[in-house]
Amino acid sequence: MKTRGASIAACLTITTLLVASCSGGGSGDDGADGGPVTLTFQSLSDQPAAIEATEKIVADWNEANPDVQVEIVPAGWDGIYDKLITQFNGGAAPDIIHYEAASIVPFAVDGYLADLSEYMSDEKRSDIPEGILDSVTVDDQVIAYPTELQSYMVFANKTMLEDAGVEIPTGDTMTWDELREIAQATTKDGAYGLGWGLASPTAAFMAMAPGFGGEYFEGTGADASITIGEGEMALPELVDTMAHTDNTVLPVTLTQSGSETLASFYAGQVAMTIQGSYQAANIANDAPEGFDWVVLPPLEGPDGAEQAANPQTLSVNIDSEHVEEAAEFIDFFTDTDNLAALNEADALIPATTSAQEAMASSLGDENGWSTILSSGQYLTSAPYLFVDAYAQWKDTVATPAYQKFLAQEIDADQLASELEAGWDEITK
Amino acid sequence: MRALVRPAQYVALAFYIVFLGFPLLWLISASLKSSGELNSLTVSLIPQDVHWDNYSQALARQGLVRSAWNSAVVALVSTALVIVIALPASYVLARLRGKIRAAGVGWILVSQVFPVILIVLPLFLILRTIGLTDSLVGLTLVHTTYTLPFALWMMQGYVAAIPVDLEEAGSMDGANRFTVLRTIVFPLLMPGIVATAMFSFVSSWNEFFFALVLLQSPENYTLPITLKMFIGGEGKVALGPLAAGSVLAAIPSIVFFSLMQKKLTGGLLSGAVKG
Repeated sequence: MKTRGASIAACLTITTLLVASCSGGGSGDDGADGGPVTLTFQSLSDQPAAIEATEKIVADWNEANPDVQVEIVPAGWDGIYDKLITQFNGGAAPDIIHYEAASIVPFAVDGYLADLSEYMSDEKRSDIPEGILDSVTVDDQVIAYPTELQSYMVFANKTMLEDAGVEIPTGDTMTWDELREIAQATTKDGAYGLGWGLASPTAAFMAMAPGFGGEYFEGTGADASITIGEGEMALPELVDTMAHTDNTVLPVTLTQSGSETLASFYAGQVAMTIQGSYQAANIANDAPEGFDWVVLPPLEGPDGAEQAANPQTLSVNIDSEHVEEAAEFIDFFTDTDNLAALNEADALIPATTSAQEAMASSLGDENGWSTILSSGQYLTSAPYLFVDAYAQWKDTVATPAYQKFLAQEIDADQLASELEAGWDEITK
Repeated sequence: MRALVRPAQYVALAFYIVFLGFPLLWLISASLKSSGELNSLTVSLIPQDVHWDNYSQALARQGLVRSAWNSAVVALVSTALVIVIALPASYVLARLRGKIRAAGVGWILVSQVFPVILIVLPLFLILRTIGLTDSLVGLTLVHTTYTLPFALWMMQGYVAAIPVDLEEAGSMDGANRFTVLRTIVFPLLMPGIVATAMFSFVSSWNEFFFALVLLQSPENYTLPITLKMFIGGEGKVALGPLAAGSVLAAIPSIVFFSLMQKKLTGGLLSGAVKG
């Protein structure tokens, strides 16, 4: 009897749960019945303030455009590439797609994204720095609007620099030689001049290679070839020299992420740290009370202060029934005020000049923002964005090779050989 | 010497419990720390200041409660389906000989060969055809299908461990086959059913990839999807709220295990038959 009662209860529970589980799902209205068009916008905004800013922009749009309503579909960065592949192949991709240039370009090459060239106004086009626009242009087609950027900046413990008698650089840029000298001057009493989280060094080396004339790749798509020459090797060799000859880099940081390195920065174990510019907000929030810090000018190599940009982007699904409306929404989303508000919330650099100026005007020099925003002018496109096998090469060849090099398991010649041979292996 | 054995066993057990429990303690500790403390070099299990704000952020920000409900629904229903299907199937696998068993074992082994990434696209297309993408029903069926082979393999081992002599004894006392199954086999199988249910529940509760790909609407997201959203782009991680969310996410599993563990009685068959 007891068993029968339990069985009935179990059956009822299962039925109830199944009914409950049936309630999910649903899709937006396509406007075919004369009602408003609903566009789905897959947003990857993750910070509470950025989510709020995104929701406000969408709410403003929806209020001003009752016939074209936008519905936010939040998603996470982790696994989004696999999700998009399935969505596109399964015909279930959203109308508007938030992603980043390096990862969205392959989808454009495969024909999944609409050409937005005809929808982008001349004003908007001229507002986006040429190098940034290049990073979202595939075969002369603008396949995304760039929205947010980051650059690599040097954050310094002002007290430690002053105690070491270092004059804090204030120019438009700062050379790598100056960085090296400051690191040498501040390496004393058990502290190191620099902490650089290079657990995954490829992104940083690729981004900063243009300052040394490094391009890595020639050609695009499946036809791209790799060249590892002086320009490409200059930065890894400089880090190696600073870490193992000058002994001015805290060794453990070479095996840490950027965020993990900040703990050593706060504790005064390192005088400077190279980080993504967005860390300014985290440092302002997390640094111990009384911690006096400053953002140093953008780093300049022999070929300039350029860094490769990998902007976050907004694209339109080519199979969307409302490409024009989606493009209009993106144009609205990337208005000066909207872009400035979003980037301020995300602690990133706007992709348009006018939004950078607006943000600089509202933030002033608070938390080094004027210096960080000035680095936006040096952000440019990079060949690796348009190379098919880059992601595979980065994960399976470059990162392990750089890690071995920084651990002194292989020398510079072996590093160059591994980078080239690895590329040949995965593209043969 | 013998007097020292029992205390030594307790000491070893204590170490083992600490070893197993420490990550959970550390998670709870992290969930109560401020961002500044989490990013400092000072390592302490006890937070300097208890920071409950992480919990309010976790609960408010990402629809955690709704996701937990979705996960619970999918995990419980798929677990129930797995048990309902695996129970008779495992008996057939364990007791019968011949082509059915060979086909069953072959299916189990072959189904474990394919990596998830290989089957997800065809699966997505099939589910789309029958209107079950972005649906908890679809995800439940996927979890059931994906868990079933191993559950079947697991449970047929428990069935095989029950002596056939017991069933024969029942038959000799006049019980028909159904009565033998209901009154002798299934009660003895209870530890196996519980262990399989636990495996099935945890597999579904933690499953990320199918949920990521199949679910499109935030109202359908399961817990692993929601928790992953605390990890942002550009290497940004909201450690405190993530830890708080993870602690909250672990509670249903802990409750489920607490309720079920009493049923995991070992040695039930000791002395059931001679020799």
